[in-house]
Amino acid sequence: MTTATDLETLSAGGSSASDVGGGPNKKIVGKSPGRIAFERLRDDKVAVVCSITVAILVLLGLFAPLITSAMGIYYNQPPEGPTGSATDYLNAFGMPSIGPPYYAYTWEHPLGLSPGTAEDNLAHLLYGIRTSFFVALMATTLSTIIGVSIGLIAGFSRGALDRGISFVIDTFLAFPFILGALALSPIITSRFATEPEQLARASLLALIAVLVIFGWMGLARLIRGQVLSLREREFVQSAQVIGVPTSRILFKELLPNLIAPIVVSVSLSLPGYVAAEAGLSYLGIGLTGTPSLGQTIVRAQTYYEEYALYLWAPVVAVMVLVVSLNLLGDSVRDAFDPKTRR
Amino acid sequence: MRLRNPVIAVSTAALLSLAACGGSGEDPDPSAGGESSEEVTEGSGSGKGGAAGGGSEEREGAAPEIEGAEAGGTMKVISANGLNTMDPSEAYYTNTYSILAGLVTRSLTQYVYKDGDMVLIPDLATKLPTPNEDYTEWTVELRDDVKWENGDPVTPEEVAYGIKRSFDRASFPEGAAYSNDYFVDGDKYKGPYKSGEDYKGIEIDGNTMTFKMATPFPDFAFWGAFPAMGPIPTDEKINDPAKYAQHPWATGPYMFDEYTPEKALTLVKNPNWDPATDPGRRQLVDGFDMEFNVPTAKIDQIMLKDDPNTITYDNISATVFPDFQRDAKDRLVIGTDPCTFMWYPDYRKITDMKVRQALAFAYPYGDAYAAAGLIEGITRSYGTNIMPEGIPGREEYNPLPEHDLGETDPEAAKALLKEAGEEGYEITFLYAQDDPISVDVKDAIVRGLTNAGFTPKPVASTIAEASTVRADPDADINVRSGGWCSDWPSGGSWFPPVFQSTNLDEEGLGSNYAAFSEPEVDKEIKRILGLPIEDQPEAWNALDQMIMEKYFPVFVTGYGGVAIANGSGVNGMEVDNTTGMPTWKDMWISK
Repeated sequence: MTTATDLETLSAGGSSASDVGGGPNKKIVGKSPGRIAFERLRDDKVAVVCSITVAILVLLGLFAPLITSAMGIYYNQPPEGPTGSATDYLNAFGMPSIGPPYYAYTWEHPLGLSPGTAEDNLAHLLYGIRTSFFVALMATTLSTIIGVSIGLIAGFSRGALDRGISFVIDTFLAFPFILGALALSPIITSRFATEPEQLARASLLALIAVLVIFGWMGLARLIRGQVLSLREREFVQSAQVIGVPTSRILFKELLPNLIAPIVVSVSLSLPGYVAAEAGLSYLGIGLTGTPSLGQTIVRAQTYYEEYALYLWAPVVAVMVLVVSLNLLGDSVRDAFDPKTRR
Repeated sequence: MRLRNPVIAVSTAALLSLAACGGSGEDPDPSAGGESSEEVTEGSGSGKGGAAGGGSEEREGAAPEIEGAEAGGTMKVISANGLNTMDPSEAYYTNTYSILAGLVTRSLTQYVYKDGDMVLIPDLATKLPTPNEDYTEWTVELRDDVKWENGDPVTPEEVAYGIKRSFDRASFPEGAAYSNDYFVDGDKYKGPYKSGEDYKGIEIDGNTMTFKMATPFPDFAFWGAFPAMGPIPTDEKINDPAKYAQHPWATGPYMFDEYTPEKALTLVKNPNWDPATDPGRRQLVDGFDMEFNVPTAKIDQIMLKDDPNTITYDNISATVFPDFQRDAKDRLVIGTDPCTFMWYPDYRKITDMKVRQALAFAYPYGDAYAAAGLIEGITRSYGTNIMPEGIPGREEYNPLPEHDLGETDPEAAKALLKEAGEEGYEITFLYAQDDPISVDVKDAIVRGLTNAGFTPKPVASTIAEASTVRADPDADINVRSGGWCSDWPSGGSWFPPVFQSTNLDEEGLGSNYAAFSEPEVDKEIKRILGLPIEDQPEAWNALDQMIMEKYFPVFVTGYGGVAIANGSGVNGMEVDNTTGMPTWKDMWISK
């Protein structure tokens, strides 16, 4: 039933921003948990700064092709394009003969050229960020869908099915992730050896697959635990008693109550996947044929003294990306769970 | 010989240089186990063009004293690569070969450094081996005063046993196969473990040993310098291959103290080595601490900052090379190794010589070197001869007069392709997709070939797989890239293994990566091997030129070079141009 007071609040809800728990004179406002969390988030300075940073990086990644073609820079060719020669831009020792580290700064190549290949570092960086986001988003989306579904089923079904699913989850958790990635990489290479473009796509998809295959279990366990406690609550039991179909119970009764842990998990797994992609590519078992920050770091690490900019640009990019996503994730968690609020 | 280290060789040289190695004939695939590999030879004179690899001479008594040399100190050796097996019968990488032969094990003959070249002198033998008229029988008189590290005398039976062990391709798949190729029954005798100790090719009479060959082997004395051609204890409990590689018994001035494979090796003085018995080696340093798998960037910095007693036998990276030239020029040691890096178009698939020549015009020499991190003129130089500089008899020629050394000329390539009616010819070649440098080199090559009117189709492989795929005659590629470093300064370690027809079904490619087969060349190789030894250098050079001008089966992408460094306390370090390794026998530490 709705009282008059409540109606009043609802109509004024939009304007009465953040006076949750205000003084006795304030009106009592009814808000959904999501809305409360969002408002807390908006007040959190760290969260705002991180959101802006992430938004900028997303835009840079999203528009990488446009930016590079507008600037006339290439991530996979020397400055003159496919018919050019890299040696025209390199000295005898393979270091760039224009721009950093030895020559005057040039706006044509703001982060310089890569030693040995004379490719543009900025273009590499932009495409690397693009790849990082793509991989992290895909992996997060897929592993969240899989993890939530399996967690719901395991938690709600009693007996053999739950035990079976839990066993599968434990098995996947026990399987060494790096080993799986190591084993998969050469198989894919030999399968698509003769088609470079397909190989690039296959290695991208394989990387996402590896991240998903070894990334859904944590969330599944979390959800299962939540469901185990929720399913004994009255609203679920009453729904069962009046014969609501199981799927409806799962998705209409239980799922809305799990939004908080899911959002938290998503916000924390995004930076995890960004780091994992860079790490695996660094180890040579991640991406090939697709620009990636991890691969640029491998190439650059021997130049740390001679040509620091070459190394620092991708390192800082990965760092900023991971740190801002992580802090944002922390803030999201705090916002959803007032008990941990600092 | 194979170049040290699987990983870096693939790395630095990648497709430029997945080199080969190994014997020519019997061993079906000498390079398969060796990932990257290359062969290394004896004595190409460093930059002396045709200066005859030092030759050979008789020597007696102890090695001559070095003026001002001081004794003492422990030398630290760092390298980015591990050692492959240290069993003398299988030591065929440049680092294992050089460390064993230079410091630990003695064999029939040995090399010493003399004025920039390596000279072959006797070692366990009192004099250099003497052949019969047609080089099918070699006689060696052994010293009777050489001792093992435990003080027992080395007997001719033990020398014979060690040499018999060099026939065993199953136990020592990576070893050089010259015994199998040339010795009597080399194809049937499988070493003492499989075929027993009864082998009719070696006769012992007192201290005199006679070796019988199936085909003329004029280069026997060079083969005698391999650790495989030295003594091994006959007790099978001691010489068990797996165990012996952990601690090969020393006959030289230093012996194994502690050896942790892939990590560290400590050599200490061998108290039972008598300088009077050894005309080449010295025992000036107290010992060697070798550390492996050190990151390249770390090695560069340690060497640049100068740790007095430290040396490295890895090439200094191109990035820090200018710093070295500026700050530490005197500690930089530059020399050559006897390697030629080539592109081998498959002779069965790319049958039109014009297409092969067009490839030589199209290849992006400069861009590929830069991508591979090589320094033009230092660690890679241009050339056209198959045999690298320093091999006796070598004279420069250019099979493509319009092609300037190291120049990429897309227009000329296009014209040749048009002439052949093969515009857009498809070139499939390997690269290692998990090695960023290999990928960069591939990108450069793809660009170069595209500009020249070819259709490049790079085939992805991995660092671990690349050399195996390359060695497969049926692999779906029509160009192989590799390097060959000869085992001694003679065409005899170039043309028989690289250009003689191989039985592809039974033996695979061996080191004939072009699958080249011309009866005329086979016949000429046989003829030259039977020539008097003094006529051979010129004949090999003529054959070099004939193959390139008449058939153009391969083209040279460059020759190898060495730029290594030592600490300020280390003296006497030069480049042994037979291996591209330091001259261990002459090095000492000043205090």
